[in-house]
Amino acid sequence: MRAILPLVLAAAVSAAEPPAPDMSGENGTPPLYIGNPKAIQAGEESYQFVCSACHGVTGEGGRGPNLVAAAGVKKASDQELFAVIKDGIPGSDMPPSPLEEERVWQLAAYVRSLSAPAIRQNVPGDREAGRLLFYGEAGCTRCHMVRGEGGYLGPDLTNLGVTLNLARIREGLLDPNKRFAKGFDPVTVTLADGTRIEGVAKNYSNYALQILDGAGRLHFLANDETAAIEFLDNSWMPADYSSRLSGDEIQDILAFLSRLSLSSDATRSAGEPQ
Amino acid sequence: MTRAAWGLLAACLVTASLASQVRHEDILAAPGEDWLTFMGDYSANRHSPLREINTSNVASLVAKWVYHVPGATALSSYPIVHDGVMYVTNSNEVHALEAATGRPVWVYLHPGVEMQRTNRGAAILGERIYFVTSDCQLVALNRITGAAIFSRRYADPEDGYFCSVAPVAIKDRLIVGVSGGDSGIRGFLAAHSAESGEQLWKLWTIPGEGEFGADTWGPKTLPWGGAGTWMPGSYDPDLNWIFWPTGNPWPDLYGGDRPGDNLYSDSLLAVDLETGEMQWHFQFTPHDVWDWDGQEPPLLLELEIDGRKRKVIVQANRNGFYYVLDRLTGEFIRGNAFVDKLTWASGLDADGRPIKIPGMEPSPDGKLVCPTMWGAANWMADSYNPDTGLHYVMTMEACDIYTSSAKEPVPMVGFAGTGAERQPRLDGQFVIRAFDPATGRRVWEYPLTGPTASWAGTLSTAGGILFSGDDDKHLIALDARTGKYLWHFNVGQTVNASPITWARSGKQYVTIVTQTDVFTFGLFAPTQSPGAPEGLRRR
Repeated sequence: MRAILPLVLAAAVSAAEPPAPDMSGENGTPPLYIGNPKAIQAGEESYQFVCSACHGVTGEGGRGPNLVAAAGVKKASDQELFAVIKDGIPGSDMPPSPLEEERVWQLAAYVRSLSAPAIRQNVPGDREAGRLLFYGEAGCTRCHMVRGEGGYLGPDLTNLGVTLNLARIREGLLDPNKRFAKGFDPVTVTLADGTRIEGVAKNYSNYALQILDGAGRLHFLANDETAAIEFLDNSWMPADYSSRLSGDEIQDILAFLSRLSLSSDATRSAGEPQ
Repeated sequence: MTRAAWGLLAACLVTASLASQVRHEDILAAPGEDWLTFMGDYSANRHSPLREINTSNVASLVAKWVYHVPGATALSSYPIVHDGVMYVTNSNEVHALEAATGRPVWVYLHPGVEMQRTNRGAAILGERIYFVTSDCQLVALNRITGAAIFSRRYADPEDGYFCSVAPVAIKDRLIVGVSGGDSGIRGFLAAHSAESGEQLWKLWTIPGEGEFGADTWGPKTLPWGGAGTWMPGSYDPDLNWIFWPTGNPWPDLYGGDRPGDNLYSDSLLAVDLETGEMQWHFQFTPHDVWDWDGQEPPLLLELEIDGRKRKVIVQANRNGFYYVLDRLTGEFIRGNAFVDKLTWASGLDADGRPIKIPGMEPSPDGKLVCPTMWGAANWMADSYNPDTGLHYVMTMEACDIYTSSAKEPVPMVGFAGTGAERQPRLDGQFVIRAFDPATGRRVWEYPLTGPTASWAGTLSTAGGILFSGDDDKHLIALDARTGKYLWHFNVGQTVNASPITWARSGKQYVTIVTQTDVFTFGLFAPTQSPGAPEGLRRR
């Protein structure tokens, strides 16, 4: 039954499919799907009918793999992605799709967009207003660096737009305790002589600790120097931005963050020459 | 927010880190506890004053840790060590490790680069780490966090370039070079601001049309002459000049389209650090048709020659000859063959120009010539020990069948039908040799087993030891005076880099990068109490 369910769902849904948007290219050129906002939107609509039961409404997995993070999805060519959706994966729970080819391409475009870096996503909001908030009232550079300027306790954001997708950036801003970036576990360490160090654990093992404090000092501690370590439940990042900032302000900061990139080339690819 | 958290945020506002910065003077004085530049020092001597590990105790050297670089297949990085942190590069990435434990502190992956070529190492200056990406961006990172500060593209892959060089930090600038000479580029050397990445000067290693040396090429090859600059050079602080070697002319094995000497391929260039102006050049292999880049380390030494102390540069060149040059003028002082298998030239004339033996050029049917295309020496590190007065070189005794072709060379693609290969069952052999640089005399040698497929080089220490990778997957230690075997360790992989040594808390360590891992060794010491601190095991 498990394998049949998606098929049944897909069949049930096909009658209720939204009308296909006009995807024909200009001047008779072949239509493009991957990266095309209209195709992505159409793909998302189909996704919520056909795929979300297994892959989750956000694409982050459930019975099926996490489409946002899966390396296989990122590595697959557009054609390979299309083929997996269309033909399924024999021997697994992933069924072939009954959808017509154009809709499968739209689904591929949506799945591709799930893991696309934010700079390639169409993020609304006032980027300049977001920049002012970022460097001003929101106080982000107290702990985060951009192009080498800022504090030490948060991850570098210089390449944020080309390394994380929008969903993950939003989560980091509004729900910072959901997960900690690698090397940023918030800790308090008490040394054998009673000294306390607050910071983040760049690394730790049963034999040695590598701690970075807020002043940018690395503490390399053998365990005979260390009495106790406390892993804190909450990140040093404030967890109240969702209440401190308005909805528009949050969107403005996301618009700013999603375009952060060290490389002017990458920025240009988002259609904004620098 | 808790009071502790606010206090922490206040600490974040401290803009100047208290951690020690690396100044030009520190690199000038290195190496000591730190290893601050590709060669360990500006003179390319690669001699460390550390002596905790010495001939009397090296037999008890043991592995302290191994760090695997994820996905690595062909590392050739010389690490940098400063203030207890080691920086190792792979293609488009830097790994910062706690040097004493090998535990990663941060890893920087440069986004958006598809090209993956080898990388030879990072540079450090101030609070920053610098390295180049395969597609020729000079990238600056915060050394504590790995946060990106700038990237500056200095060569365009569309023009045939790729980049592998370890930048050299001198005063306020980084010196960088380019690769790609085997498929046609116009080589150059450049200086960039350490602060902003802005280019300060650029020196072409192939002259432009109408410039001096342009008539040493033909019209077809001048724009694509090669002369890459992929190997870090040395620096004389008194002259304020850098000495940078250049690569082969292109097409590598066919000289028909490039009559003449092909300046400034296979050369050593003396260049003013401030202006980028060439002060002199010395060409080792004029009109090279065997791919003998001049990229071997140029060691700065002071030698007594004919009763007079002279500042010189010595180089054991890929073409099989050992050269001693005057540092101020580039004048050839003396030279001699340093390998036994050398068939392309009968010697050097009074100006250091090779006396070529006719008929040794590559041919369509293949021509057996010694040394190989790999060379009698190559970019592997040399070292010089002032206590023994010996210069240690990884040499190769071997010959290749060189094949030419009458096909048309295609810039940025290559030259189909040309190549060089060993004769069956005659792979040849690497031999570590110690030379008296004043006379070129061989003082001792240590032949190696193996497939002649390594890029391992040497390191000298005040403990009287010569460390080296070998051709058979080992790190080895030899007595620097005699070449006698002292110690070895099987790292299980080909070694494509040269060892470094450094110290932390009074303990000396030796590190070597293999194809996929970083190995660090130190003297045996009983394990300390392993008890984990409270709170760690309850996570």
